[in-house]
Amino acid sequence: MEKVLLDYDWTVMAPEIIIAAAAALLSLADLFLRENTDRRFFSWFSLAAVIAAIFFTVSRFGQQPYEILGDTYRVDDFALAFKTAVLSGVGLVFLLSAWGVRQEEIRFRGEYDYLLLAAALGAMIMTSSADLITLFVGLELLSISSYILAGIHRERYASNEAAWKYVVQGGVASAFILYGMSFVYGLTGSTNLYTIQQRLVEAYQTGYDAFVLLSLFLMLLGFGFKIASAPFHMWVPDVYQGAPTPVTSFLAVVSKTAAFALVLRIVLVGYIFLYQMQIWQQVVEPVLLVLAGLSMVIGNTAALHQTDTKRLLAYSSVAHAGYLLVPLSTLGAVLFESTFYYLIAYLVMTMGAFTVAALLEREAGHGNISGFAGLSRRSPGTAAAMTVFLLSLAGIPVTAGFFGKFYILMNALSTQHFWIAGIMVGTTVISYYYYFGIIRQMYFRPPASKDRMRVPMVPALLLVIGILGTVGLGVVPEWAVHWIGDLQWMSALTPLNAGPPGP
Amino acid sequence: MQWNGEFLAFFLLSVMAIGGAVFMIHFTRVVHMVLALAFTFLSIAGIYVLLHAEFVAAVQVLIYTGAVSILMLFGIMLTKHRTSDHSDSRSRHQLLSFVGVAAFFGVIMWVIYHTPFSGGKAETAKYTVANLGEWVFKQYVIPFELTSVLLLAALVGAVILAKKERDA
Repeated sequence: MEKVLLDYDWTVMAPEIIIAAAAALLSLADLFLRENTDRRFFSWFSLAAVIAAIFFTVSRFGQQPYEILGDTYRVDDFALAFKTAVLSGVGLVFLLSAWGVRQEEIRFRGEYDYLLLAAALGAMIMTSSADLITLFVGLELLSISSYILAGIHRERYASNEAAWKYVVQGGVASAFILYGMSFVYGLTGSTNLYTIQQRLVEAYQTGYDAFVLLSLFLMLLGFGFKIASAPFHMWVPDVYQGAPTPVTSFLAVVSKTAAFALVLRIVLVGYIFLYQMQIWQQVVEPVLLVLAGLSMVIGNTAALHQTDTKRLLAYSSVAHAGYLLVPLSTLGAVLFESTFYYLIAYLVMTMGAFTVAALLEREAGHGNISGFAGLSRRSPGTAAAMTVFLLSLAGIPVTAGFFGKFYILMNALSTQHFWIAGIMVGTTVISYYYYFGIIRQMYFRPPASKDRMRVPMVPALLLVIGILGTVGLGVVPEWAVHWIGDLQWMSALTPLNAGPPGP
Repeated sequence: MQWNGEFLAFFLLSVMAIGGAVFMIHFTRVVHMVLALAFTFLSIAGIYVLLHAEFVAAVQVLIYTGAVSILMLFGIMLTKHRTSDHSDSRSRHQLLSFVGVAAFFGVIMWVIYHTPFSGGKAETAKYTVANLGEWVFKQYVIPFELTSVLLLAALVGAVILAKKERDA
């Protein structure tokens, strides 16, 4: 008996439905409000919707995995964990937007909020589906909304340039992903990842091995762009610098997390058989490790001579994409755990750093690193918070970033990958130079003006959340590690029902 | 490889599709580019017919050859800009792009000729428009609904980015 959507327990989609409904409501409200009404409460409304979605996501932990309509929608622990991370990131971005996005500057204040919700919806779908069509639609929903958000500050030339570069290069990346997916469909006749899992093995063994690898590498080409790894990182500095700061933090935190969820699911479910056949170790792993190594080296060395804060953080984001690629390429026992832990650590510390960047940008009127000069005298609290975030980004002990790196390093060492571990340690040391450069500015340079900097409530709250997360995850990592370790990550790799559901 | 009508049609359509794409890159006037692009779209629709995908062919003609090309022409005519594109030729850059594209082409061709698909033909009769519709609205209803959100976001974005400011 063929089942339709309403035969399923569709209430498991509550988080997505809440976000979609909130976006629809806001777009209607935007129509009926006067043009000059302050729309800042939209961000608070969206934040409430995100919190409700987090509640429904978290309340499903510990239950059996569930799928709807042949895995076009799927909830398992992998999906829930990544969705929680994505939603937390989106929530923090809304908090930052509620303060940092002004209607005087960005005239499409209403559109800003519901496009951000649409992007969040795309990111959520990317975490919880096991069907290529749904995954790709989710990816495009996230990407297209991000292109618009990057260019939403129309009066600024840099914002226009960012949107333009992002849409062209993003379009090319999507084309590569789609081309790879079309080979997968051609080989297996299915878009369901678990059916693909079975049939790719057959295809590989019956002489189509070159096509299988071609499909994987075409997709990896596009994925490399989406997670901002070198050598596909050309767009990153310009887009991060040109986009409004809350949008930049969204791109750094949410897009990266969602893209990693997508990459892990497609590559591991579809191509894990290569590992058993020893092909992964010979072909795929070297390629991924070279990508990871290149990202670390290029990201960290290019960041050395940046003078713009957001540009510097952009290159640092490229480097972090490199660290994050290591577990995927080496696989190993704590592959999911170490990737996910690092993503959460990256989320809290990057959100904090971007909050400070946004504060200074508003205060100084420019995004240059010289804006940090003498911050310790003008606002000791902000300077201390930024120091914590930078130490964490650099990976100094008792911060979240340190333990995240340590976790990834342990995974790499336990699988006997010493040279990539060496590159990781070496580039981390290089990164100290530019992270400490900012700290030097804050503590040892004279400030441009003597008056104290006021930190409004909302950014202060964000800084507190950032510090609690960064220090908390660093001092007592075992809480998070326990929680992450208890999740059923492997449930993402196996189908729910014995039989694949149709073509 | 035997010479029959189908092969001849495929040959002509492919040459037209590739030729249109090459001319699109080579032309310097934007209007000519769009026309070359429309030509490619139309040839691809012909290839779909040869593959017994009549519905996709019809959609291709309606949306790409018709709507997209016409929209592009309108866009060109309604906006003020230089109608021809004088690209400053950076030869090193062009050489690098050429090497990259040639290598990519080589890899794809090598893979295709390395493992040719064996002759078995798929049954195309069951892929009717009625079936397609049923699949879209039953099995793939979730991505379908998401696509509508995506189109809405794209529409809003297009309006935001292209809207003329009253006081600009």
